Amino acid sequence: MNAPWLRSGRVIAGAVLLLAVAVCAVAAPALAPHDPGDQDLLNILLPPSWMNGGDPSYPLGTDSLGRCVESRLLFGARTALEVAFFSALGAGLVGTILAHVAGYFGGAVDWVIGRAVDIWMSFPPVVLSLILMVGLGTGTDKVILAIILVDWTRFCRVLRSEVITVTRRDYVSAARLLGYSHWQTVTREILPATRPLLITLVSLEMGIAVVVEAILSFVGLGVGANQPAWGQMIADARQNVATSPLGLVLPMLAIFLCVAGFNLLGDGLRRALDSRQTAVRSA
Amino acid sequence: MSLLRAEGLEVSTTLDGRQARVLRDLTFSLQPGQILGLVGESGAGKSMIGRAIASDLPAGFAVSAGSLRYGHEDLVAMPRARRQGLLGREIAFIPQEPMASLNPVLTVRQQMDEHLRRIGVTDRLARARDLLAQVGLPEPDAVLQRYAHQLSGGMCQRVLIAMAFASDPKLVIADEPTTALDVTIQARVIKLIADLQARSGTGVLFITHDLRLAAQICDDVLVLYAGRPAERGPARALFKAPRHPYTASLHLAAPGMTGPRHVLLALPHQMPGLRQIAGMTGCRFAPRCPVVQADCTVTEPVMAAAGHGTACHHPDLAGQIATPEAAPIQPAAKRAPEVLRTSNLRRVFRSRGFFATSETVAVADADIVVHEGEFVGLVGESGSGKSTVARLVAGLDQPSSGQILLDGQRDMPRALRRRHVQMVFQDPQSALNPRHRVGDIVTQAMRVDGHSQPADRTARAAELLAQVGLSPEIAGRTPSQLSGGQRQRVNIARALCVVPKLLVADEIVSGLDVSVQAQLLDMLLELRERLGFAMLLISHDLAVVRYLCARVVVMHRGAIVEQGDTDAVFTAPQHDYTCTLLEAVPPD
Repeated sequence: MNAPWLRSGRVIAGAVLLLAVAVCAVAAPALAPHDPGDQDLLNILLPPSWMNGGDPSYPLGTDSLGRCVESRLLFGARTALEVAFFSALGAGLVGTILAHVAGYFGGAVDWVIGRAVDIWMSFPPVVLSLILMVGLGTGTDKVILAIILVDWTRFCRVLRSEVITVTRRDYVSAARLLGYSHWQTVTREILPATRPLLITLVSLEMGIAVVVEAILSFVGLGVGANQPAWGQMIADARQNVATSPLGLVLPMLAIFLCVAGFNLLGDGLRRALDSRQTAVRSA
Repeated sequence: MSLLRAEGLEVSTTLDGRQARVLRDLTFSLQPGQILGLVGESGAGKSMIGRAIASDLPAGFAVSAGSLRYGHEDLVAMPRARRQGLLGREIAFIPQEPMASLNPVLTVRQQMDEHLRRIGVTDRLARARDLLAQVGLPEPDAVLQRYAHQLSGGMCQRVLIAMAFASDPKLVIADEPTTALDVTIQARVIKLIADLQARSGTGVLFITHDLRLAAQICDDVLVLYAGRPAERGPARALFKAPRHPYTASLHLAAPGMTGPRHVLLALPHQMPGLRQIAGMTGCRFAPRCPVVQADCTVTEPVMAAAGHGTACHHPDLAGQIATPEAAPIQPAAKRAPEVLRTSNLRRVFRSRGFFATSETVAVADADIVVHEGEFVGLVGESGSGKSTVARLVAGLDQPSSGQILLDGQRDMPRALRRRHVQMVFQDPQSALNPRHRVGDIVTQAMRVDGHSQPADRTARAAELLAQVGLSPEIAGRTPSQLSGGQRQRVNIARALCVVPKLLVADEIVSGLDVSVQAQLLDMLLELRERLGFAMLLISHDLAVVRYLCARVVVMHRGAIVEQGDTDAVFTAPQHDYTCTLLEAVPPD
């Protein structure tokens, strides 16, 4: 198969990064030298094993409670990917459905959905998610729900304008004249046109979800204290940044690589999947 | 001393690592005070000439041989600064898309002021007013205060013409200046260009696809085919007695407005693209030439240096190309049932502002009847409401009042309606979903209820494509891989899938080259014979309506001003507006 998206450098770079993160997440129990929750209070704030005073059984050192940094990074990938996947899926689903309903039918339906989005977006997203987390309590499912409730508007607003553009095309009129129902028209004629944008948005949203989850965990309103998360690691390493900076740098690097992977993949897929852009390039 | 002179001009680009010549052997000279027409279909390379003069060739294209001289100066080798000094002053351009050529966020006054300042006019406001009056714009002061979107296409083009002639240029390059305009406005714009040109002794390079228009306005005409001149000569001589088979074919492919109707000459295939040209020997027109001889594919003919020249080995044969007289259009049988009747059809658009609501009557009390198997033409300018009628009849829009009877029924249910009336859309680019394959597009109607088998659909797709003269392998392609003419055929095939009784066709041949248009018009006549559908043909082109339709309906500002048998209306128009429309058509 010589699908165009397989030849895009961005897609390959993004996919490789994400694959690495995914392998870490899936194989975390096998790869991690320790249980991420185990505290070794005799060996706190150890430097990585290759540095002076390092311990070979803690390859990347330990944190202020003597927990293995490497193990926590590996298990943190699980949390990050789980949140990224489900919240992007949920927000995408809600936003896409509302965007297509609003853009396709227009009129009063569009007005109501449009105003709902306006009001929703006038709350600062971080504050809104913090309020939600306070109300919902901590836990992975609560983080996912909060992100969905905050970020569906992003999908709705961007996709709606695309749906409106496509709905005005004559082929949509033609489909209606040929007897297509509204459902058939939207799924067969409009959705294929909005799909490249949707894929991009989902991919970017996964990156955003990773960041939001880190923020929420950072302030302690995230996935919960007993589940390792990168945001928590940053929060924990804050006090000792002068003595062991790697404790802060490593989870940040993990977040950066993961988000960069999603963004590269999203952008690459958008360029490759949009048949208009592909046609221009081959013409 | 000629004003503009090209000598063996060649423009090339690189294609697949090899040099490909987009234009070559181009030789012409334009004298001061003359209009030289450059005629060719899309892909002939005619716009490259204008761009070469402005040194504005697309990226990757360059002049590779020959010379292009403005007076004594070499336009190709000229320093940038000198060219900048000439453009807009001694050399002016009239663009193809008047609306897009004015800056939407500046008023006409600001734009004219900027231009006049650049060419060093001191009393700019008075001069701007004067110029707008010269191009026949009533109330120049009001126009000066407006933005481009507040003016019609014709008015925008007048403003641009005024700006082009502001500096008393010696050379004006008009690239399809009327293509985007209505026929009545085209006639006025053409006259305006000719008047200004005669008054100031300017030389005009008039680039167009319309041979008839060129013959009307130009002194000399150069016909281009696949990047090479096919024929050059005085406009009338070239038009009346063409010496190149391509010129003759162009002439015979366009339907006429007077005399007996002739079958249109539909050249096979299409103009070769750059890749095909590279592999050709001999005359580039040979594969499509109706009078091709054995030696045509061996050596490439060369055009004589002066006079009425032609790049053809057998110029005497061009005169022999002729098409038989067409069978007269059968009017609908006396008792033929009505497939469509509209009575007092009215559509009012309300635009609700914050404080007030304004109303536009797009269609006012229209009564149109179409009988079974009858082709009815609906003509009028843009804004006359003809496309609104099309959408109302097709059911894409609801009338504000009045009735639409299909087969004598009011409010036909949707399931029946889709088998009764179908629409062919104007812009095949927008009408075909770029993400579907052609085979799926033409059999869309079969997927509605979900009972059809893939094998049935494949068979039906092949059948439909054959009906519109396309080969079955096209079913596997996407619309972006098709030419404009092929797309329009697919567009028609989709509408024919349900075998409707009435086809509403909105400007289906506008924007197509004349030889492609001829193929489509003949195809429609043939399909009517075979399938017996009726058609409401919306068109701004009276000649097309005359060729296809037994009856014609003339619309003006939302109202029907005249209707009747096409021949009667066109030979003895009753309404003033019909007369204006008819007078605006360039003569045969």
